[in-house]
Amino acid sequence: MSDDPVLTTRALAKRYGRRTWALTGIDLDIPQGGITALVGPNAAGKSTLIKTWVGFERPTRGGVTVAGIDPWRDRAGALGHLGYVPQSPALYDGLSVADHLDLARQLRPSFDREYARARLAQLDIPADRGARSLSGGQQAQVALAMALGTRAPILLLDEPLASLDPLARREFLHVLTDAVRGDGATALLSSHIVTDVEQACDRLIVLGVGRVLLHETVASALGAHSISTTEHPDAVASFGAPDGSRIYLVRGTADRPASLDEVVLGYLASGRSAVAAA
Amino acid sequence: MSSLLTWARIAFRQQRWELILVSVGVTGVAAGMLWFASTLDAFRAVSPECLAGAGIGSGFAFPDDTGPPVECQSLLEDFYSTQSMATNLMSMAWAAPFGLGVILGAPIVAREIDGGTAQLAWSLSRSRVSWLLRRIAFVALFALALLAVVAVASELLAAAIQQRDLDEDFAFFGQRGLPVVARGAGAMMIGTLVGAFVGRVLPAILASVLVIGLVFVGLSLAHDRWNESEARMQRFWDEAGNPVPFDMGALDVDYGLQTPDGEFLSYGEAYERGLLTETFQDDQGRVYASAADLQAGKVFGHDVRVSIPGERYPELLIRDSAVAVLVGGAALGGTAAVVRRRRPR
Repeated sequence: MSDDPVLTTRALAKRYGRRTWALTGIDLDIPQGGITALVGPNAAGKSTLIKTWVGFERPTRGGVTVAGIDPWRDRAGALGHLGYVPQSPALYDGLSVADHLDLARQLRPSFDREYARARLAQLDIPADRGARSLSGGQQAQVALAMALGTRAPILLLDEPLASLDPLARREFLHVLTDAVRGDGATALLSSHIVTDVEQACDRLIVLGVGRVLLHETVASALGAHSISTTEHPDAVASFGAPDGSRIYLVRGTADRPASLDEVVLGYLASGRSAVAAA
Repeated sequence: MSSLLTWARIAFRQQRWELILVSVGVTGVAAGMLWFASTLDAFRAVSPECLAGAGIGSGFAFPDDTGPPVECQSLLEDFYSTQSMATNLMSMAWAAPFGLGVILGAPIVAREIDGGTAQLAWSLSRSRVSWLLRRIAFVALFALALLAVVAVASELLAAAIQQRDLDEDFAFFGQRGLPVVARGAGAMMIGTLVGAFVGRVLPAILASVLVIGLVFVGLSLAHDRWNESEARMQRFWDEAGNPVPFDMGALDVDYGLQTPDGEFLSYGEAYERGLLTETFQDDQGRVYASAADLQAGKVFGHDVRVSIPGERYPELLIRDSAVAVLVGGAALGGTAAVVRRRRPR
């Protein structure tokens, strides 16, 4: 196993139109193996970042690599290492589940149709069902099975949980973690629902206002942060608690351990404060 | 073989409603053409003398100019009525390639982008160009097969309408045979290019109507200019006053006068330039500027048609078709360039 990061960005910036910056100079190294959660609010640039790795978006500045390959220079080479689950599982209305797997096989000859079919069978998703008649959760599972069937060492999942009910989200994450750990793959899962990814992910990237606010393992993020209910000199940021009081995320020791949700909220609040100050 | 069948099945299902729609429409048109062709041919079987006497197929009317004999009148009325309807149906053969280009071509890539499936397909396929070719191939082959049926049916119908062999004949040029298929290929690729560029199905369909229309109007004008440059003057009578055999299959480009110095002058131009204020013509195609000139035998010009002889029909057929296919090829190249760089939605 190589220690080289499998997904990188260097000073990555992406602008839409003349003024809207989705990403503003991001440096990231995502190591091989495990699941990395990419969390952030809507319009934080999560999809843009993932689409840049897939080769769907061209960086305005800076660059990205997939397994050391620049996807804009060598799209085929980069895609050969990638399995991708789009934000909304857009399947072909007129095709059955089996047709989708056949199509994937035609588009990528190395696609492991039997593996994907077996995964779907475990979930009792019939291969002869039309994609249109599947539930949202089942459609997401088909999209995941297609990504897993590529047997790619890197999986990029662009908010696949967004439109799923809690049960379907749990099932999806179960399949994902099972497959990634079984195959030794690397997955990057974007989401704006922190609690969903907490159990499944090994690493955490908090993206806000177009830049990386936090990037470390889930364990170290939880271990390094705590909550203070009063103003604290080492506070990263403050934000409103559910009971209406103000709490402070502290990098260090304070009143009580922080939950992952609080860590993320704290860094998002710090990102907003930085923008407001600027 | 199994892989080919899978490819065909998936490609059909990805666009099944458009394919079914055009199949029904085109089959209906082709069946109508064949029915009209057999109906028109049946008239000849009833009375070949009546049709020949009326100049149908030969171009020469009843010699005494008194109209058809009484026993032919009813048959000829029925023939002309059927011929008129059949001629209207021939316009469908002209429209079919453009219709297929819009209905089948425009949605191919536009729907993939509009519906988000491009993200799935483009992340699976290592080459978007090979994806595009694979995606287009079945629909294009299907469309061309349908248009081939129309091309054959329209060829038979045109021959039945004209009641003559049209192998070297410009009658219904562009509405029958190879150009129907070639223009279909061109229109479909233009539709696909517009769809890839626009990325939404309905706007792509509307835009492709406009673009396909503009491209083929432009091509038609270019062909007209090309034909004009190649057409030649042909008198109806020779110097000795004998009628020149009339080439019924020629493609007429213009009609007017050949001046004594050999130049062509259209009647409109002659009037505009004040060279003619009225015309007098003898029965051998000689035109005079006044009654006095007619009396004096001072010929202003000879009545001529400017045309391309029917024997050149196969050559121009290939040329017209090749241009349409080349335009289609260029549009396909353009589509590949758009798809390679395009951002999926």
